[in-house]
Amino acid sequence: MIEIKDLHKSYKMGSNSLHVLKGINFSVKEGELVAIMGSSGSGKSTLLNILGMLDELDKGSYELDNVPIKNLNETKAAQYRNKFLGFVFQSFNLINYKSAMENVALPLYYQKVGRKERQEKALKYLEQVGLKQWASHLPSELSGGQKQRVAIARALAAEPKVLLADEPTGALDSKTSYEVMDLIQKINDAGNTILIVTHEPDIATMCKRIVHLKDGVIIEDKNVEQVRAEKYV
Amino acid sequence: MFDRDIWQEIFHSIKSNKLRTFLTGFSVGWGIFILVMLLASVNGMQNGFYSQFNDDATNSIFIRTGVTSKAYAGFEKERKIQLKNNDVAYIKKSFKKDYEYISARMYRNTSASYKGETGSYQVQAVHPDHQIIEKTIITAGRFINSNDILSGSKVAVIGRKVAEDLFKENSPIGEFVIFNKLPFKVIGIFTDEGDDNAERKIYAPITTYQKIYSNTDNIDGIVLTYNPTYNLTKALEFSTRLENILKRRHKISPEDQSGIRIWNYAEAFSDISSFTSVLSWIGIAVGILILIAGIVGIGNIMVFIIKERTKEIGIRKALGAVPSQIMKLVLLESVFITTLSGFIGLFFATSILALVGPAIQSPAFTNPSVSFTIVLTATIILIVAGLLAGLIPAMKAANIKPIVALRDDK
Ligand SMILES: Nc1ncnc2c1ncn2[C@@H]1O[C@H](COP(=O)(O)OP(=O)(O)OP(=O)(O)O)[C@@H](O)[C@H]1O
Ligand SMILES: [Mg+2]
Repeated sequence: MIEIKDLHKSYKMGSNSLHVLKGINFSVKEGELVAIMGSSGSGKSTLLNILGMLDELDKGSYELDNVPIKNLNETKAAQYRNKFLGFVFQSFNLINYKSAMENVALPLYYQKVGRKERQEKALKYLEQVGLKQWASHLPSELSGGQKQRVAIARALAAEPKVLLADEPTGALDSKTSYEVMDLIQKINDAGNTILIVTHEPDIATMCKRIVHLKDGVIIEDKNVEQVRAEKYV
Repeated sequence: MFDRDIWQEIFHSIKSNKLRTFLTGFSVGWGIFILVMLLASVNGMQNGFYSQFNDDATNSIFIRTGVTSKAYAGFEKERKIQLKNNDVAYIKKSFKKDYEYISARMYRNTSASYKGETGSYQVQAVHPDHQIIEKTIITAGRFINSNDILSGSKVAVIGRKVAEDLFKENSPIGEFVIFNKLPFKVIGIFTDEGDDNAERKIYAPITTYQKIYSNTDNIDGIVLTYNPTYNLTKALEFSTRLENILKRRHKISPEDQSGIRIWNYAEAFSDISSFTSVLSWIGIAVGILILIAGIVGIGNIMVFIIKERTKEIGIRKALGAVPSQIMKLVLLESVFITTLSGFIGLFFATSILALVGPAIQSPAFTNPSVSFTIVLTATIILIVAGLLAGLIPAMKAANIKPIVALRDDK
C-alpha cells in the first residue's frame, strides 16, 4: 500500500537547513495498523505530512497504492488526498460552524457526491462511530472524545485507502483515548490501513506494528501483539 | 455558479459571521447610496434648468432692436432701429423653410378697470402664433385668433392674476374691461407655469393696438421658433443668417452688436447642456471614488477574514478542496455581499428619492430621480467591484498551504 525508499527531508531556516528525515525506508501493507513513535522533534509529523501529500519530499521515492507520488501540483495533490487519504488530527480540526453531519459530509462534497447520498453516507459513518444522534450538533456542543470520533467519521467518509492520524489521542484523557483506540481498532478490523503517530506507549501497543524514529531515521520496526482497547473501555 | 452547495456554504459563512458581513456590506451600500444620490441630484438640477427653459418653446428666437453703435452706410451712429410689420412679412417670405411659428410683439402699459376694481398691467399685442411660441396655457375661453387680427377687434386674453384682481370670484369671459378708456372684451384667461408675474400680463391682437396707436405699423420685437427638425448647428446657422439679413435690411454695420439683437434659445440651451453634463461627470467621478474606497475596504476585510479562516481553508484543502474551488468560494461570497449590500444602498437611495423628490419645490431642482441605465450601470459596477475586492483575498486563500494552516501552534 505504502512504499517509501530513501526518503530525505530538510527544512530551510534562513541560511541553515535542518535535516529532519535522513533516509527512511518503510513500507506498509494493506490492513496494517502502524504506530509511529519517537521523541519530540524526531520527525514523526514530518513523515506523516509527506505521506499525506501535505508536504513534499526532497529526495527518495514514495508510492501509494502503486501510484508514484511525485511533482504534484496543488490541484492534483488535493485530488489525491481526497481519493486516497483520510486525516485525523490531534486538535480534531472540525469546522466549527458546521454540524457534525456537515463536517463528515465535507470530503464527499469535494468528491462531487450528490447531496442526498452525502447526507446518507455521513449519517452512516456517524452511526459507525456511535454519534448518530449527535448529527445536528455543532462541534462546540461535543466533548473532546466525541469531536475526535466525528473527525474519524469524516476521515472514513471518503473511503480512503489509508487513514493517517497524528496524535489522535493527544488531547484526550486516557479513558477517552481508549474509546477512540477501540474505534480505530474496529475500523482496522474491517480492513482499513491505518498509521498513527503517538507518544504514548500504551496507545502504541494497541497497534499491530511499532516503528521507532530517532533523529530522522528508523531505529526499530517491530510487530507486536495487539492489546485490545475494548478491555479498558 | 448555480451550485446549490456553494450557495449554502456562502449563506452559512455569512450567517455565522453577521457582524463582519454587515461591516463589509455597509461600505459598499454606502458608496452606491452616495453615487445614486449624487447622480440623482445632478439629474434634478438638469431637470430644474430644463423646466425653467421649457416655459418657452426651446427652439424660440427673439429679435429686438436698439440704437446703432457704429456709423454705417451714410448714417450716423446712435440711430434708433425700428421694426415694422413688413419685417415680419419679409422673414416669412425669405425664411419659409427655417421658421415654424412667428409673431410680432408690441409692449404697452395700461390701466385696466372693471366695476370699480382697477390695476396697472402690461399688454403684449401679438399674433396668434404667439401662444405656441410662449407655450401659453389657456384655462378658459380662447387665445387670439386670425379673425381678431383681421378685424382688429378689441379683445383681450388676461392672465390669471389679472382675472383675480379685477373679477374676484366672477367669470371674466365675455365681460368688458376698460383699458385706457377703451372697452376690451375678455375672451380668455391664461396661466403660466413660469411665475406669477407672467400672469399679470394681458394679450391683445397686434392689429388692434397698432390701430389704437395712430395706425402705426411699428412693432417692438419679433419672436419665432425655428424649424424643430433643426439640430443645434443648423439652428445657430439660421439665427446668424437671420441677423445678417436683418442688419443689411436696416443698414446696420455687420460688426454692430447693438442695433439688432437676436437671442437664440439653442445657444443658451447648449451651454446648459454641457454644464449639466460636466456636473454629471463630476458626480460619477466622485461616486466612483467613494466606491473605490468601499472596494478597498471590502478587500481589506476579506483579507482579514481569510486570515481568520486560514485553518478552515487548510482543513478543506486537506480534505480535498482544490485551489480553484476555494477561490470560487471567496469570490462568490465577495460578489454576493457587494451586490446585495449595493442593492440595499440602491433601494434606500431610490426610496428616499421617491419620497422626498416630489416634495422638493424649487425651480432650480426638479424631480431628482435615477434612470434604469444608472441602476443597471450601478449593478455592473457592483459585480465588478465585488470581483475586484475578492480577487486578492481569493488568491491568498487559494495559496494557503494546508500544512502551514493546520500546524497546531496556530
Ligand atoms: N515547516 C517547518 N519549518 C522548519 N522546521 C520545521 C518545520 N516543520 C517541522 N520542523 C522541524 O523539524 C523537526 C521535526 O518536526 P516534527 O514536527 O516532524 O517533529 P515530531 O516528531 O512530530 O515532534 P512532536 O512529537 O513534538 O510533534 C523539528 O525540529 C521541527 O522544529
Ligand atoms: Mg508532531
